[in-house]
Amino acid sequence: MLDLIVIGAGLTGLIAAHTAARAGKQVKIVTKGLGATHWHAGSIDVLGYYPNSATPVQRPLETVRDLTRARPQHPYAILDGTLSDALKNFVALAQELGLPYAGAANDGDNLWLPSPVGAARPTFLAPRAQLAGDLRRPEPMLIVGLRGMRDFYPELIAENLNKQGHRARAAFLPLDLITERHDSNTVHLASALDDPARRMKLAAELKKIFQPGERIGLPAILGLDAHAVALDDLQAQVGAPIFEIPTLPPSVPGVRLTNALRHRLRQLGVRVEINADVIGFHAEKDRVLWIESDASGRPLKHRAEKFLLATGGILGGGINSDHTGKVWEVVFNLPLTTPHDRGEWFRARFFDPAGHPIFRAGVPVNREFQPVDANGGRVYENIWAAGNILAHTDPILERSLEGIAIATGMATARSACNLKP
Amino acid sequence: MHTASWHSVGMTLDECIKCNVCTTYCPVAAVTDKFPGPKYVGPQAQRFRECGQIKSPDISVDYCSACRVCNEVCPSGVKIAEINARAKAQIVADRGIPIRNWFFGRNEQLGRIGSIAPQIANLGFHNPFSRLMAEKIMGVARHAPIPHWSTEGSFRKWFFRTPRLKSDKKVVYFHGCSTNYYEPQVGKAAVAVLEHLGYEVIVPPQNCCGLPMLNNGEFRAGEKLYRDNLAKLLPYADKGLPIVGTSVSCVLVLREEASEMLDIENDQTRRFRSALWDMSEWLRDLLDQGKLDTNFRELKMIVPYHVSCQARAHRMGRPSLDVMTLIPGLDVREGNAKCCGLAGTYGYKAEKYDIAMEIGEEAFRFIRAQGDDVKFTTSDSEICRWQLEHGTHKDCRAPIEIFAAAYGLYDLDRRRLLVER
Repeated sequence: MLDLIVIGAGLTGLIAAHTAARAGKQVKIVTKGLGATHWHAGSIDVLGYYPNSATPVQRPLETVRDLTRARPQHPYAILDGTLSDALKNFVALAQELGLPYAGAANDGDNLWLPSPVGAARPTFLAPRAQLAGDLRRPEPMLIVGLRGMRDFYPELIAENLNKQGHRARAAFLPLDLITERHDSNTVHLASALDDPARRMKLAAELKKIFQPGERIGLPAILGLDAHAVALDDLQAQVGAPIFEIPTLPPSVPGVRLTNALRHRLRQLGVRVEINADVIGFHAEKDRVLWIESDASGRPLKHRAEKFLLATGGILGGGINSDHTGKVWEVVFNLPLTTPHDRGEWFRARFFDPAGHPIFRAGVPVNREFQPVDANGGRVYENIWAAGNILAHTDPILERSLEGIAIATGMATARSACNLKP
Repeated sequence: MHTASWHSVGMTLDECIKCNVCTTYCPVAAVTDKFPGPKYVGPQAQRFRECGQIKSPDISVDYCSACRVCNEVCPSGVKIAEINARAKAQIVADRGIPIRNWFFGRNEQLGRIGSIAPQIANLGFHNPFSRLMAEKIMGVARHAPIPHWSTEGSFRKWFFRTPRLKSDKKVVYFHGCSTNYYEPQVGKAAVAVLEHLGYEVIVPPQNCCGLPMLNNGEFRAGEKLYRDNLAKLLPYADKGLPIVGTSVSCVLVLREEASEMLDIENDQTRRFRSALWDMSEWLRDLLDQGKLDTNFRELKMIVPYHVSCQARAHRMGRPSLDVMTLIPGLDVREGNAKCCGLAGTYGYKAEKYDIAMEIGEEAFRFIRAQGDDVKFTTSDSEICRWQLEHGTHKDCRAPIEIFAAAYGLYDLDRRRLLVER
């Protein structure tokens, strides 16, 4: 019998499974598809904006302390001070996996990194390859695109950066430096740059167009499996700081992180059952005995002592709704904090800094991250919930998505498996 | 559980959030520009195919290999492979079917004709000149691993010639065309294992499952085959007998693919589906009930296991692996290659052979990496087995042959039963 089944293979699920498996527990991941990590910029947001405020947060860990006092139901408040240790654990894990992260953890301030349209986004930790893009740095930027590559427009990025007072200019290089193919996506291009010969061609062209003192921004395609080598190699050949700008999906920094975590999970003996859409479960009294996933012939039963729900929110598919206004949690039909009146789901303005109430809806939990009903009573004795499915937060608006994913993923796995922090 | 219909397959395209996970994992798009990727030819192009406004706007969907990796990784439950299959059928309806694909659809007839005089048929077809002509005239790839007709006679001939075990416990066996005409050894191993477990084996009249026709867009002819099998086998299902198959792709078609693609979901197809089992899945079920004889002999060897795309598409976990791990001494190593490339009849087509081999390289590389001592590999699908043998020059056996060997009933080297009844 398995100790723990984690439902969902996004960042939360992968981190939770890793935490339990590393402590020697028998763990399996059951997931409908591959998780939101493929849309993910690779950076770790902790808190970019305080709820209901348009002013960016400068020192997130300090502001989180205010947040937990003001909002005792927020997942960060339930974590009870374990957030910064969780982030340290993540940095150590990423280092082990060969994907070093750094950033605000050093000085406590958020980084400011350019988005694929040249907007500035606050984040707490970033992969090493994104650090030279920090907009707090003074050097001018050369943003380089590849003509023919989809969804990456250096002029747009440079123009938007200029408007915000950052010095940047744009340049194009031909796509055939990297690939002979005419129609490649970012993952294919990254894979092509694992090849040193192609990097050498790219480096030679970059050297021709960059001016001393500039730093060079490229789409995030600098290697897939050999990323660390690719980055060092390219910087050394060009002789300038190089940074990656995450692209539209598929986002290579997120894919790298997923691949590295899944590789580690395989080493730890964790099976990831993909295409296992959980369609039912069986409980006796308040204990779940098994979950069932859809299959070609008959539902497949998955038994375990404990179950950890990491299916995500509305975007990730953990919460669904229909046109009648019904909103439900898709696996255990757990109670949600959705506003009863559909008229209260949305505010009038699309970009209202206070966000839309429907996106704060989620699964309410107790101090152990176990789902509770409206009276605060535990629903099932062996279910835990983590990540974007949790109520009382709007992680995309707050820019707290990965901080919540990592810290609650670790905390729930510990709570479920009775592990010491 | 299943509510397949035109409506639901079509409706799932609205679930597409354009995240590109499918295109990232698509083994075909990874190696060729001729296939832009599942997202583009599936949910996106489908919008132009609706309502019959435009006839087949783009035939690049013909380069879809139907491996279903896209369905597997999709986090939103879009039935991309089914959307593509229907688009192919529409192209065939609009433009007719190439003569070669017509022949591929009729592998049962080809099997029957060749089996009349297999030595002559093999000599006549499997010589370099004939294969060259077949490529030039018909577009059948001359190096592709087209199987040889079995010279030991068909499976059915053997089955009805030899005395069989009688028992109260009965099971129906679906052998499929390939076992009957090309690999009767697989059927013999299956019968030996079933009888060893005390089951009387019933082999009723049956015909091709229809997969080659459905994959080549011949929906009406494929539907006839499906309905013929339904008529021949449903009486057994209604008697409560399990219908077990060793061809993982045939079982998938009978259980789900045909009724879903053709939109003929009804009470009969549901009864049929719930009686059908993949052989390993059925053995694993016996194991779960504590009824499987696990008194296996030691098989001291490393066996790389390629999980075929059709086995994944069942979403039934890894039953072959679950049973193989019980065999003492057997070091089964599961590979992560997405597809062997051959995918039904895909790699037999001259214009697609190179693509199929390039796709298969991931699987071949995995097998080579397991060392020179590896004597046998294994995979649930005959198509994969032929492709892996072609790509690695190592013998590939069906899991049921390995089980038969572990029960001491079968010689894996010479591919024959140790004891004939």
